[in-house]
Amino acid sequence: MRAHVAEGSVLRLEQLTKRFGDRAALDKISFSVNSGEYVSLLGPSGSGKTVLLRAIAGFEAPEEGRVSIVGEDVTRKPPHLRGIGFVFQNFALFPHLSVFDNVAFGLRNGGDKRTESDTRRRTLEMLDLVGLNGLETRGVHQISGGQKQRVALARTLVIKPKLVLLDEPLGALDANLRMRMRVELRRIRERLGIPFLHVTGSESEALAMGDRLIVLDRGAISQFGPPGEVYEHPANPNVAKFLNCYNVFDGSVQGDAFVTNHGPIPLARRVASSTPAYAVRYDRLTTRADAGAGLSAAYIASEYLGSAIMHFFETPDGKVVELEHHLSNGPPDAYEAGRTYRLSWRPEDGIAFV
Amino acid sequence: MESRLLKPILAVYVGLFLLFLYGPFIVLGILSFQQGPEGGPQFPIQEWSVFWYKHILGLAPPSRVSPLPIGISLTRSLTLAGMTMVTSTVLGVMAAQAFRRNFKGKSAAFYLIVLGMIVPGVLVGLGSALVATTTGLERHWYSTAFATHVVYTLPFAFLVMLAIFNRFDASVEEAAWSLGVPPATTFRKVTFPLIFPGVLSAMLFAFTLSYDEFSRTLFSSGREQTLPLAIYSTFAVEIHPNVFAFGVLTTLFSFALLTVYAILMTLSVRRAKRVAIQEAV
Ligand SMILES: Nc1ncnc2c1ncn2[C@@H]1O[C@H](COP(=O)(O)OP(=O)(O)OP(=O)(O)O)[C@@H](O)[C@H]1O
Ligand SMILES: [Mg+2]
Repeated sequence: MRAHVAEGSVLRLEQLTKRFGDRAALDKISFSVNSGEYVSLLGPSGSGKTVLLRAIAGFEAPEEGRVSIVGEDVTRKPPHLRGIGFVFQNFALFPHLSVFDNVAFGLRNGGDKRTESDTRRRTLEMLDLVGLNGLETRGVHQISGGQKQRVALARTLVIKPKLVLLDEPLGALDANLRMRMRVELRRIRERLGIPFLHVTGSESEALAMGDRLIVLDRGAISQFGPPGEVYEHPANPNVAKFLNCYNVFDGSVQGDAFVTNHGPIPLARRVASSTPAYAVRYDRLTTRADAGAGLSAAYIASEYLGSAIMHFFETPDGKVVELEHHLSNGPPDAYEAGRTYRLSWRPEDGIAFV
Repeated sequence: MESRLLKPILAVYVGLFLLFLYGPFIVLGILSFQQGPEGGPQFPIQEWSVFWYKHILGLAPPSRVSPLPIGISLTRSLTLAGMTMVTSTVLGVMAAQAFRRNFKGKSAAFYLIVLGMIVPGVLVGLGSALVATTTGLERHWYSTAFATHVVYTLPFAFLVMLAIFNRFDASVEEAAWSLGVPPATTFRKVTFPLIFPGVLSAMLFAFTLSYDEFSRTLFSSGREQTLPLAIYSTFAVEIHPNVFAFGVLTTLFSFALLTVYAILMTLSVRRAKRVAIQEAV
C-alpha cells in the first residue's frame, strides 16, 4: 500500500485508527488533501466513510494516529476549534431558526466577534452565491430539499473553513436535483477555492466530481488517485466491483490463461492482487464479432439508460454478466430471451488480478 | 357485529369512569355554594350563595366559623413549589444531559435518582425528620421540606428530559460545533430552544407535585405549615363548606397553570409557523 502523505497539505492523516469494541472501523488511514483540491471518497456501506469524516471533524476520538490541519496537529482539539466545515446527509439545519439565521449562526456565535452589519453583508453574499435570495425569512421547514441542501452548504461556507467535509450531501435528493446540485457544488467550490472531501455512495458522482478519488474498503484505503486512473486501472477486484462498471469473475491463473467456471480467458494485463479475479468493463463487451476473449451466456433482459442500454446475460452457473451498449455507437442489437450468445472482448481490455 | 356491541359497552364504561373521576369534584363544587354560615357540608342546599367564597377572601362578616389559615400557607406553598420547580428542572436537565454520554456507574446513578419517586413518602418524611433531629438541624418548609420535595420531583423532571433527549437529533449540535460555536453557546442557542417544550413539561410536573405534596412535608416542614397541611388540620376540627369553596378556587388555579403551560408550549412548537406569518405580512 502506497502512503499518501504529502507536505504542505491542508489535511493530513497519519495512521488514523478508530475501533468500536475490538473491530477497527478505521485501520491505519493515511492520506492528505492539498489546498484547493476536491477529493471524493467512495466505498460500500459500512466501509467507514462516515466514521472517517467524523474523526477528522473531531466528533469521534481516534485511538491511534494523527489528524493535522494546515500543519497543526488537531487530534486532541475539540470540533469547534478545528476550523473544519461539515455538511450532513440529513442537513441538520437548526429547525428553530430562519434561513438567514441558520446561515448567520456561525458568524454570530463563533470565535471571532464581528459587527452585525458585517454579519448581514456576508450572510447575504453567501445566500446570493448559493441562489437563495428571497428566502431569508423562511423557516427551514418551508423550503424544498434542494434549498435545504443549499442552506446547509451556505451555513458552512460562510465562516470560510479551511476544509469542508460532506457526508453524502446529495443522498437525500432525487436524481434530477442531484445532477443540478453536482454542477452547483463544483461551481461554488471553484469560486471559493476551499478544499472539499466529499463522501458519496454513487460511483458516477465520485468519478464526475473529484480531482482525486479515494476508495475505502473495510476501514482501509484501497486506492487513491485521479478518477480516470482509478476507473481505468482499479487496484484490486473490490475496487473494480465498487466502480460498478466492471464484470468481475472469480478463478485462477493457469499458464497463459485465467481459468473461470465459464472457461479460460487469454491473459493480457496483469495486476498484482491478494485475491485472483478477472475484470472487464461493461462497455467493452460485444456480441457482434469474436474479439479474442469471451464466454457464453444466455440473454435475460435489458435496461434503457437514456444514452446507453444495459443488456443482462446469465452464464450456465448463474453469474450475471452485463453488457453496456452506448447508443452513440448505433442502434442496439435485438436479443432473444433465453438464447445463448457469445460475449467477447479484446484480451487487452480485461484486467487479470493475480 | 362485535364492534356494534362493543362500542356502546365501552361508551358506558368511559361514562362511568368519567363520573367516578369528576363526581367528587362536582359534589364539592355544588356544596361550595351552600348558604352560610349555618349551612353545613351536606345536601340539600338550603339556599344558593357565595358566602363561603367571601369567607375565604375575608369579606364575610365575622361568625363562629374561624377563617381558613390559608393566606400565609398559600404563599409558603407557592414559594416552595416555585423553588422546587426551578431546582428540580435545572438538575433534571443537567442530569439528563449527562446521561447522553456513557460514564462509569451510569446505571447506578440512574436508579439512585429514580429512587426518589419510588420510596414511600412517609418514610422519606420520617427519615428526614429523624436526620434533622439527630443532627440538630431545625426543620423548615424552605430547608428540610424543600430538600425532600426536590428528591421527590427531580426523578420526574429527569425522566421527562431523558425521553426528550432520546428523540433529540444530536447532529444539529455537531453542526453548530463545526461552525466554530463553543459547546456552552451551542447548548444555549441550539439545544435549549429545541428541548424547551420538554423543559416546560418538567417544570409543570415539579410544580404541581410539590404544590400538593403531603406525606413528605408533614414530617419535614416543622411548625410552619404548607397549604395541604393547613387544610388537613382544619378537617381535623370541623368541616365547613369553605374548604369546598377553596377546593374550587385551587382547581381553577391549576387550570390557569395548565393554560399558561399550553400557551407556552404552542408558542414554542409553532415558532417556525410564526416566521412564515411574519413573512406573509
Ligand atoms: N457509534 C458506533 N458504534 C459502534 N460501531 C459503529 C459506530 N459507528 C459506526 N460503527 C461501525 O463502523 C463501521 C463503519 O460505519 P460508517 O457509518 O462509517 O459506514 P459508512 O461507510 O458511512 O456506510 P454508509 O454508506 O452506509 O453510510 C460500520 O460497521 C458500523 O457498524
Ligand atoms: Mg455513512
